Amino acid sequence: MMKKLYLFMLTATLFVAGTRLTAQSEPDGGKYHSNAGIQEIMAKLQQKSGNAKLHTVATSPGGEPVTILEIGANQKNMPAIFVGANFEGNVPLSSEGALYLAKLLLDSAQYTKNLKWYILPNPNPDAAKGYTDKVKYGRTVNNFEINNDTDEALNEDGFDDLNGDGYITLMRVKDPEGRMIESKADARIMVPADASEGERGEYKILTEGIDNDNDGQYNEDGEGGINVGISFPHLFPRDKKEAGLWAGETPEVYNLMRFIYDRPEIVMVYTLGSSDFCVAPPKGGRKGEANLQNIKVPARYARMLETDPNQTFTMDELMELLKQRMPAGLEVTPAMVAGMLGLGAAVNPLDEDLKFYNKLSEDYKKFLESRKFNSERLDAPADKDGSFELWAYYHLGVPSFSMNLFTVPKVKEEKKTDSGTVSLNDVEKMSTEEFTALGDEKIAAFLKANNAPERFTASGVIEMMKSGRFDPKQMAGMIKGAQKKEKKGELGEKEKALLAYADKTLEGKGFVRWQKYNHPNLGEVEIGGYIPYMESTPKPELIDSLLGTQLPWLLQLTAKLPQIGIASEKITEMGGNVYKVEIYIENKGYLPYPIAMGQRNNQPAPVVVVLDGEMQILEGIKRTPLGAINGNSVKKLTWIVQTDKKSINAKIESAVFGPSEKQIKIGG
Amino acid sequence: MKQFIFVYSVLFFFTFSVQSATKAKIEVPLRFDRYYTYAEVNEALKALNSAYPALTKLDVVGKSEEGRDIYALTINNPKTGDELSKPGVYVDGNIHGNEIQAGEVCLYYANMLLTKYGDNDKITKQVDRNAHYIIPVVNVDGRCYFFEGAHTPSSSRSISIPRDDDKDGLFDEDAPDDLDSDGNITQMRIKDPNGEYKADPKDPRILVSIEPGEKGEYTLLGSEGIDNDADGRINEDAEGYLDPNRNFGNNWMPNYVQNGAGNFPFEGIGLKAVNEFIQKRPNIIVAFSFHNVGGMWLRAPSEKSIRIDPADIAAYDVIGKKAIKITPGYVYMPSYELYPTYGDTDAQFFFNFGIFAFVGELFMREQETFREKTDKPAQQTTEQSASLRRGSDPEQTREQLKFSDYLALGEMFIDWKPFNHPVYGEIEIGGWVKMSSRLPQPFMLPEMAHRNAAVVLLAAENTPEISMEVFEVKKAGNNLSQVRVRLKNKNGLSTMTTDAFSKKLYTPDMLKVSGAKVVAGGKIQDFRMNKVSYKEHKPEIQFLMVPSYGTVEYQFLVEGKGEITIDYQSVKASDVKTSVKL
Repeated sequence: MMKKLYLFMLTATLFVAGTRLTAQSEPDGGKYHSNAGIQEIMAKLQQKSGNAKLHTVATSPGGEPVTILEIGANQKNMPAIFVGANFEGNVPLSSEGALYLAKLLLDSAQYTKNLKWYILPNPNPDAAKGYTDKVKYGRTVNNFEINNDTDEALNEDGFDDLNGDGYITLMRVKDPEGRMIESKADARIMVPADASEGERGEYKILTEGIDNDNDGQYNEDGEGGINVGISFPHLFPRDKKEAGLWAGETPEVYNLMRFIYDRPEIVMVYTLGSSDFCVAPPKGGRKGEANLQNIKVPARYARMLETDPNQTFTMDELMELLKQRMPAGLEVTPAMVAGMLGLGAAVNPLDEDLKFYNKLSEDYKKFLESRKFNSERLDAPADKDGSFELWAYYHLGVPSFSMNLFTVPKVKEEKKTDSGTVSLNDVEKMSTEEFTALGDEKIAAFLKANNAPERFTASGVIEMMKSGRFDPKQMAGMIKGAQKKEKKGELGEKEKALLAYADKTLEGKGFVRWQKYNHPNLGEVEIGGYIPYMESTPKPELIDSLLGTQLPWLLQLTAKLPQIGIASEKITEMGGNVYKVEIYIENKGYLPYPIAMGQRNNQPAPVVVVLDGEMQILEGIKRTPLGAINGNSVKKLTWIVQTDKKSINAKIESAVFGPSEKQIKIGG
Repeated sequence: MKQFIFVYSVLFFFTFSVQSATKAKIEVPLRFDRYYTYAEVNEALKALNSAYPALTKLDVVGKSEEGRDIYALTINNPKTGDELSKPGVYVDGNIHGNEIQAGEVCLYYANMLLTKYGDNDKITKQVDRNAHYIIPVVNVDGRCYFFEGAHTPSSSRSISIPRDDDKDGLFDEDAPDDLDSDGNITQMRIKDPNGEYKADPKDPRILVSIEPGEKGEYTLLGSEGIDNDADGRINEDAEGYLDPNRNFGNNWMPNYVQNGAGNFPFEGIGLKAVNEFIQKRPNIIVAFSFHNVGGMWLRAPSEKSIRIDPADIAAYDVIGKKAIKITPGYVYMPSYELYPTYGDTDAQFFFNFGIFAFVGELFMREQETFREKTDKPAQQTTEQSASLRRGSDPEQTREQLKFSDYLALGEMFIDWKPFNHPVYGEIEIGGWVKMSSRLPQPFMLPEMAHRNAAVVLLAAENTPEISMEVFEVKKAGNNLSQVRVRLKNKNGLSTMTTDAFSKKLYTPDMLKVSGAKVVAGGKIQDFRMNKVSYKEHKPEIQFLMVPSYGTVEYQFLVEGKGEITIDYQSVKASDVKTSVKL
């Protein structure tokens, strides 16, 4: 299976890096904007274009407008892309990205001719205020009233900027129960003491602030609120107070869901923010999902389907069984089977969809290489439960691509003195044969150099690979995942990168050095740590080049959208004015419609092929739902009709693809 | 278009006829020997409100998809306190548009409280001690259409949001059709020697399955209707379907996981309004949502994988185990035992608002009897009794027809009549009318309404009532007094659900000492052994809940002399206050 996937990927067509698109320079480039600034730019963009409309979808609990710019407002009957940014409110660069994208789209007609766009730059404006506030802490919540510690008072114990530097950092305080010590590699970094190494904890770490309500807890009930970025209904994190009580309790989320469901033409969703599905597909491996290759049919349905309740079936087998018992013409979908048997929600990306995610991620890497973009940077954070981008994939059933526009660059490791050792990156690109050919010794050295978990022995991994349990790329991934436990006395890759960035790029301003402070509750403490927003928010002068390099990928991706039309037809005369009509519907695009998840949830708007004209349909129905169609493929629909006319009409009806009509000559 | 005009004219005809036949003046006390239309329910609420202006408040909670008003009647005696200061009792009904008797039960409860206030001690006490919130019709569009349109007993359930059930790009384009224009959607059958049914020899109106090898007489063709969209199927894309009781917030799952869920929680704007009404009344401690059918009291949780605390089950049981005696034949069980649901009211009320939420499934068809009294009712298996309650036993069908003939004046069943169907040709149409099967006949309505309202009253009586006793004040050294306080709940519902308390859903009950400095304070584990667990910070405020029929005790070490005040404050139970001289 994996091999097949590789072959598939090798056939990749490369993108030719197009002429570099840049948004025409505007006076408001190169800085981070407040919501007022964002609204001003949106209004300007709307006025400048004769084809844009501004929708106010919600007012945040803090009274801020949430607006969406519709580009292509005068156009009807065409697919649309939705772009949302900065749902958690703590990645201001992503809001700038959405505005930049809007400008790109309005500057050139290339991507708006047959495509509508909806652009939402700032869905969590209350939280986004946090970046321009005098005291910054990386706010993610809006002003919705939430009593986080459920005591007698609301929002009574937030952070306090004790040292007056404008940042909420950390406090370390000597405490007999403290479990943290200074790292031997860099005394600024606090690490847990390891008793087995004879170390004893010295410090407790708290966030900067005082115990305003004297309840023994620090900063446990600050302003707000609900985090818009984790309050969507897929894997809604019910146990988190800042998600709200249910998905969409806050109006930014509720109104946005309604806005999107009211527009079934949305065929793809982009999310600018933290996670990055352009680089790697949505995270898998969640437990608790029904295995669609191994489904048991409950007794009451087994009777209906005349099957053995002890037997297991694949989804395809069940669909076939059900088809035999359904009226002709009724499309049996995975959604129908899943709903009937109570298979529950999908929580991992479907295999079929991983194919396009992986292929496009390879293409994206090449795209970045071609633009000399340094991709040696820290990995983007994983997608979060309740996030917008997961909801778009799992509930809307459309391709959902998120993009992280900035993470801190990795520190270039000096080459290992042992030049014979292969690197993790090399191994990722190897085939199983190439890797096993390295032999025991080199593999053992590789495993050691990369701090692989002990269960990975040279002979063990060779065995696993030969039996097809994993391939070099998967193994490299597992080693990376397990690397968290750092080598003794050394900083982890992330910590090294952050410190280097704080010290060099930010000239020492990225890390507030620990300084003594006389704390009203705790006595002597030290205050210090990374400044908020450092990891996600580069200097303003870098905004334009970061956006200009990466965002055009999202424009190129639009070339992958499904394009559905009538390809050709075949008429066979059967005598007596009876004809067999075969119509080939094609998808000229790369992406299937719907994607596998869309087939599972049956949410995307249908494509219906309608036969029109004076005739009697002997077999088939006038309005035939096309069902799913793969990328770069055709699907044949067949009717038998009786008519004495010379032609009939075939047309495609769809909320997504717009009407396309064809006159079909019959007979003479 | 033709179809549309046809349906429209039928609708118009019945709107007119229903109104002219039942335009009786609605007066207090309300009558319960017939069903109220949606408009009449509102009139009845207005009549109660204007008859008892001092005790009632009538609010429009919000509007439905089609702009109809959703009303809530609040019954509270302001002379005994503000509504939010009293334990709230919430009752709603008719969330499924066809389940109309649920609205009557709600009206009955309101009518009972108001008309007996001052005359009956039990009622007077509960009107004075509780706030009662009553929303008789949640799905106002559904109720309206159920009366005005042609329906089966099970249609007009949905929220009025069209959905493309058959994914052909058209919405709600192929619903059943009232072919014989009798205001009901009944069944179609066709004579067929190869059919799988024959007329029941004992009552030819009933179709029974043929024995193997036997010659058939009929094929059943399903609900009355034609293939409106010419897709080779009949009635495959009817109203909605957005099930209002799958569209609430807690544990909501999308449509592909559970049919009827809607696109997102509270897609139905009327439901959203009802939910907000409840959320703004945090004093509500117990809730009833009335549905039909089958005779059941269902409690949370509604999904098997979710557990609730045994203490909450015990509190539920106080009501549930008595309720099944007040409504004989009902069963009491967790909702998931019927079938698992996501996004229902039970889960939303219990898990998100900390309310002891019940669903009442009204009416059992086994009550439609035509038989002599026997001393010993036959012992039934659980499966049998379930099918009896749901009315699917063949022997029972014969009895139900007799019941219709002799008690319901023949109004429940329409005998098969020939009809020329555009697709099938000569067929017959007949069967149970919409006002049957899931609804008691009007003459049975008062008893059903009364018994179920009595269960709501039982729940009101069991809402928490806290008494506070300072059972010890003694010197504990220099300038220090030891004060011991006991809080006792004399009723069966705890002051909070244990679920809400343990998950910190909202600010728990508080016991506050003011007037002097509290040096230490905490919960008494065992007062005889003098075991106290002191709270580390802010000892003057203790967070707690008082269990079902339970007692909790607290001890405070207070500095100084003079008078201290001890406040018990609760979101759901009424507050209690006392003061003590040191």
